[in-house]
Amino acid sequence: MLLEKLQSAVGAGVILPDGHETFVLNLGPQHPATHGVLRVKLTMDGEYILRAEPVPGYIHRMQEKMGENRSWSKYLPNTSRIDYLSAMTYTHAYVLVVERAAGIEVPPRAEYLRVITSELNRISSHLVWFGAFLLDLGGFTPLLYAFDDREKILDLLESVTGSRLTYCYYRFGGLCNDVDAEFLTGAREFVAYMRPRLAMYRQLVTDNIILRKRLEGIGRIDAELCRKYGATGPVIRGAGVANDVRRVEPYSVYPLLDFKIPVYSECDCMARYLVRMDEMEQSLRIVEQAIAQLPEGPVMGKVPRVVKVPAGDYYHAVEAARGRFAIRIVSDGKEIPYRIKLRTPSFSNLSLFEEASRGMMLPDALALMGSLDLVIPDIDR
Amino acid sequence: MTPTLDELNQAFLRLLTPAPALGTACEMHDATSCEGKGVSPNPAPTPPPTSAPVPPCRIVEGKTKGYHFDADLAPDQIVPAGRLLDERGFAIDAVTGVDWLAAGQMEIVYDFYHPVSVLHVVLRCRVPREGAEVPTLSEVFPGANWHERETHDFFGIRFTGHPDLSPFLLPEDADYHPLRKDFTGAA
Amino acid sequence: METPDQPSPQVNSAPNPTPTGPVGDGEPAPDCSSIVRFAKLDELLALGRANSLWPLTFGLACCAIEMMAAGASRFDISRFGAEVFRPSPRQADVMIVAGTINRKMALAVKTLYDQMPEPKWVIALGNCAISGGPFVFPGQYAVVEGVDKLFPVDVYVPGCPPRPEALIEGILALEEKITGKRRWPRVPPQ
Repeated sequence: MLLEKLQSAVGAGVILPDGHETFVLNLGPQHPATHGVLRVKLTMDGEYILRAEPVPGYIHRMQEKMGENRSWSKYLPNTSRIDYLSAMTYTHAYVLVVERAAGIEVPPRAEYLRVITSELNRISSHLVWFGAFLLDLGGFTPLLYAFDDREKILDLLESVTGSRLTYCYYRFGGLCNDVDAEFLTGAREFVAYMRPRLAMYRQLVTDNIILRKRLEGIGRIDAELCRKYGATGPVIRGAGVANDVRRVEPYSVYPLLDFKIPVYSECDCMARYLVRMDEMEQSLRIVEQAIAQLPEGPVMGKVPRVVKVPAGDYYHAVEAARGRFAIRIVSDGKEIPYRIKLRTPSFSNLSLFEEASRGMMLPDALALMGSLDLVIPDIDR
Repeated sequence: MTPTLDELNQAFLRLLTPAPALGTACEMHDATSCEGKGVSPNPAPTPPPTSAPVPPCRIVEGKTKGYHFDADLAPDQIVPAGRLLDERGFAIDAVTGVDWLAAGQMEIVYDFYHPVSVLHVVLRCRVPREGAEVPTLSEVFPGANWHERETHDFFGIRFTGHPDLSPFLLPEDADYHPLRKDFTGAA
Repeated sequence: METPDQPSPQVNSAPNPTPTGPVGDGEPAPDCSSIVRFAKLDELLALGRANSLWPLTFGLACCAIEMMAAGASRFDISRFGAEVFRPSPRQADVMIVAGTINRKMALAVKTLYDQMPEPKWVIALGNCAISGGPFVFPGQYAVVEGVDKLFPVDVYVPGCPPRPEALIEGILALEEKITGKRRWPRVPPQ
């Protein structure tokens, strides 16, 4: 009796109607396919998943609590360490919400430069995903190509921000420093360099029959599932819904730029893969246009020495590389935030994994997990 | 299929206006929330509490706040309100808490966005701080499951009917709720 | 090899916890270093180990991305013989702790260290692994303030995150600790 109870509680050793016996497979927290310290408790019937229960929290770093014990501006470096692969967009959300609340004006040049750096960051983030995803699927070489291209972006961003990964470049009211002509020339050259590279990736990887067999029709996530779980970004755009915060709730100078929102309606891993590949092209277009339109002028607006936010709660969402990232701030009018809530895309995107992976084969479920493009500290915060 | 703000407002007014049978319960809730707002820092720039009842839901200036519709709910109205938004094609954004220590209240905030239109809806519910408890929304939006578990982790707010409220982001044996304002550090 | 804005890796000068000679039952370990042949074999083994360090594929947070970058095309850690990242601790001999360790994870990290066969070394990569980094504040409830609270560390590489060059320098420092000689010329900061 006791043994049976224990077995059904754990999920192991349960005899299924067809006579098979279940077992529990513990994936993580140290496993190369989870890209960090995610743990998934899998109840298996042979090679098929009966239930996959993600157990996050292995890199919980108190990001929300830290917001409550430092001033508004001292929280800026934290925002780049939530999703370290798209640090620019995360910092962007935070400066936007504080600017919205405190009524701070941003000069146009700063807005354009924010868009340029954010989009370069988005490409570098997608390149890491590209390399790591194909590594999961068994191809090592694309990673070496992707990181080679990524280093070119990092060189550019490093020249203006001083860091390679955890940028803290945006300030309330503008940027910490202006870019030089060298950066703009370098960014233009990068756009020209990257286009043929993306075409090469298409030939080398996207049209590869093995990749297509691994991704097409695998890991169905439809629009309704996305809505019920709040999944956004390439996941919902791979389910046929043109949900992009840059277009739906426009911010910064995105409305002035011409770019497409790639949408695929196949709902499978391949659709999510293609969305990201097309997004890189669109980001190149945005960078190109923003550099062409870049106005002269200051990069810092008029900002009080100590930023104070009027009492109340404020919200701002941006389109990060993994989807909708939003910050809700609650202020009581003091120099220190009362509450900072981070709504991160990886958290919501992973929450549908249990439902989406039911009945899948384990290698396919890992392809599904890779196609969600998870960053674990983005889930755990 | 995209809902309009006015239609949403009408639907919410119908939902939240006290029906004769529920009258006393809702008035009581309104009274407590007004009392709380008088003491605590105001979460929204509402006029100071007067004898005139504060409307339970209102259209908000989206440019300055980042959301377009705001509704104060009693705990038993959360699930009907969730269904109402579900029918109109909204998606769950986040569930979180705010600890109003001075007012002795816990505020539970639900965020909803619309996948294809610029509409952001906020639902709030204030309950007494000690033994804070609200019904779960995870049956309407399965995505609320994780958000509510996290809110339970951080604030100790119980979600009745929730399938599993064991520690989520905190260690398996955690018995503390770190985002409560009176939290001083784990052992 | 080094960048001027980041301090160079610190080598833990404490004696290596790995045993260097055979240990008998109950009696003290004989001093084998005086036996000429055995010492030479020791050196030879050390040379072999130092030139083919197999790190554990173990990424925790931001620093892991820089660890990946160190292994990828531009920085190419295989120039130093340390590119064979093993996902299993049983096959690895150096653990690069790349990121923040929190209390939920601490036990797993300790288990991974215990599962690695001797001789083994540890590189603490980044401020979080060294001291908890930016996530330490009074009353913090989650972060382990430095991986050396869990097990001994051989090389500390500071930075948030450290550059890939700094990790390479850390591996060279570890080689120097193993063999007693630096095989690569030291580049003074400009």
